[in-house]
Amino acid sequence: MNTSLANRLTPYMFLAPAAAILLVALLYPLGYVFYAGFLNWNPSQRIGQAEFVGLRNYINLFHDESFRESFFVTLRFSAIVVSLEMFIGVGLAFLLDRNIRGMSALRTLFILPMMISPIVVGLMWRYMYHPTVGFFNRTLKSLGFEPMPWLLDGDWAFASVIIADVWQWVPFIFILSLAALQTLPQSVMEAARIDGANGWQSILYIKLPLMMPVLVITFLLRLIDSFKVLEVILVLTNGGPGLSTEVMALRIMRTATEFRELGVAAAMSNILLMMLLLLTVAMFLYNKATEMRAMRLKNIAAEEA
Amino acid sequence: MKHFRTLVCSTGMALAASAAVAGNPYEPYAGTTLVINFPTTPHYNAVMKILPEFTKETGIMVEVDQLQYLKMRERQTLELTKDVGDYDLIGYVVFSKADYVYADQLENLAKYFMNPKLADPKYDADDLIDGYVANIGIAGGEKGYLPGKTGSLFGLPFGSETSILGYRKDIFEKHGLKVPTTYDELLELACKIPQLEPGMGGLSSRAASGHHASHAFLLHLAPLGGRIFDDDWNPIMNNEAGVAAATALKKIVDCGPEGAQTFGFAEAGAAFLQGKTAMFLDSTQFAGQVNDPAKSAVVGKVGWAMHPAGVRQASQTGGFGIGIPANAQHKEAAFLLMQWLTSKKADKLIALEGGNPSRFSTHEDPDVNAKFSHMKLFGEALRHADPDWRPIIPVWGKINADLGTALSKVLTEDLDIQEALDGVAERTRATMEDAGYYIWQ
Repeated sequence: MNTSLANRLTPYMFLAPAAAILLVALLYPLGYVFYAGFLNWNPSQRIGQAEFVGLRNYINLFHDESFRESFFVTLRFSAIVVSLEMFIGVGLAFLLDRNIRGMSALRTLFILPMMISPIVVGLMWRYMYHPTVGFFNRTLKSLGFEPMPWLLDGDWAFASVIIADVWQWVPFIFILSLAALQTLPQSVMEAARIDGANGWQSILYIKLPLMMPVLVITFLLRLIDSFKVLEVILVLTNGGPGLSTEVMALRIMRTATEFRELGVAAAMSNILLMMLLLLTVAMFLYNKATEMRAMRLKNIAAEEA
Repeated sequence: MKHFRTLVCSTGMALAASAAVAGNPYEPYAGTTLVINFPTTPHYNAVMKILPEFTKETGIMVEVDQLQYLKMRERQTLELTKDVGDYDLIGYVVFSKADYVYADQLENLAKYFMNPKLADPKYDADDLIDGYVANIGIAGGEKGYLPGKTGSLFGLPFGSETSILGYRKDIFEKHGLKVPTTYDELLELACKIPQLEPGMGGLSSRAASGHHASHAFLLHLAPLGGRIFDDDWNPIMNNEAGVAAATALKKIVDCGPEGAQTFGFAEAGAAFLQGKTAMFLDSTQFAGQVNDPAKSAVVGKVGWAMHPAGVRQASQTGGFGIGIPANAQHKEAAFLLMQWLTSKKADKLIALEGGNPSRFSTHEDPDVNAKFSHMKLFGEALRHADPDWRPIIPVWGKINADLGTALSKVLTEDLDIQEALDGVAERTRATMEDAGYYIWQ
């Protein structure tokens, strides 16, 4: 073997162990789930005994009203919670990005909800939403208002799980945006101030655009997470009333455990995975495009100068 | 999720050795350790207390893996597919019968009952509760999941529960009300009580979307003359009886305590225990709690009656059975334990510890009745336990969930009852078609 070939192969040889681990740890389970999506597989069978049914699971899912409903519930849920959380989280970060005494303690307090286990969050909110002894209805009654059907009515239940999720995950956005805010170059702020930008202008035209890369990643992380939300809803409503809060993750779980259709559950997770992949790719493409545009503008500016 | 392992082990070995006289059927198995999997229900918690007695008598040691019942089912599904299993005896929930027997994962018990060295001639199988032997034990007869000329035994009922009506004696006396024996009386009372006692609901029922709503519907379906399928597997839950059952459920929930639309079994029970409803109609499993001052605000105020009759007297069959996994390592010793646990002697011991007896004679037993005065009535109720209360077929889980979701929409979104049940029937037909039930038609 000549030296140049050996030299060229060296990096690949060093990469090989990592690649092998990746292959086993990542691709094997993915391949397994992908394959399982084509099977009529009951948990009492081994995967080898399951019948191969081709695309039947996917076709059935397409015609399955309940699945379609949970698909749209998930879309609606994610769209609403992520927008609300981004808005409130970033807003809070702007409000708390200043040097007041005791601010660090306050910041720690703000991120507490995120640290609580989702099951406990679910239970806590479930008791607060309780129709008679819950905190909300008791407060409403003592103030002379009518109690609300928090978890008893489809639309209210949907709103209730959104409130609980927003409560838990705003801190995540808050903490990341705050970190981004605090690393912004002071020189730019100063320049803006000297140019006479007021508070709103410096937020809109300076801070937000500079924070954008972090915000995009934060948004993406939250979006992916919100598509897979399970525990809080499981405890709060278990998908009810009707199917009003049955998100896809819950539907997948019920399909695997209650209906004992592992193949169909795998097919559902594959659809969820595809959806997330598409979203992620779209996000990155958009990000790339804006970066390119910024680069172009910079180049033009440089040329003009 | 509770998951704890308990080692029930005592001075068994030594005692067994001393008892090793001629004619001790347990002798060959003394020193064996059985690993068994039980759910954490009040009945099985009572069983845990008497297991040391078995070890003392036989020298066979028992290690118990006790799990919450849904968790238990998941664990068993994995365990039973292994070549060599870890469990020698399992407690299984009634709807698992369809899956386990179909997948050939439970031992047929005939060969054990035929073996003179294992089968106790004084076992008296006739005394076991009929509806439950049919429901949990036997498979392969009528409709595949019921007894019949082609059926055989795969398990024994252990922890038999049925539906029963609990009522507040004080409230009924105060207003001179008669305990309902028919559905008409029950439904009338359910809505009359909130008028007589403002702030109190009529009857506590489960209603939460999914399994709970479906269960509550089934409670009314059988007595009102309905079924899920006819004899040719055509879905008939949307016929007149089905609509009547759903209407009854809606009426009960509407006249129930506040928030009843999302009650599960636990919440429905809690509402009754906290004195928020005057009646409770569900499993006998609940009865142990009403006189426990730590859990109940209605100690001493609760009376029990049979599940009211509609066109027939038909109460719930649910609960658990015990069976030997096909991949068990100590099958014969497991059979001995199974036989011992369901024997007259152990059944009484379990009943005295607060479990649900599996035999008619235990329900009649004076000692048991002296401690739990409701036992005789429960025994009577069990005679009307309907083995065909729900179809025990592998696709039931899916149909059950769909039915429960549709009913939840009826209860919370005012979906039309006939329309909701027609939808369920249509989707059920498609599920059954897929599963091959119409291939012979």
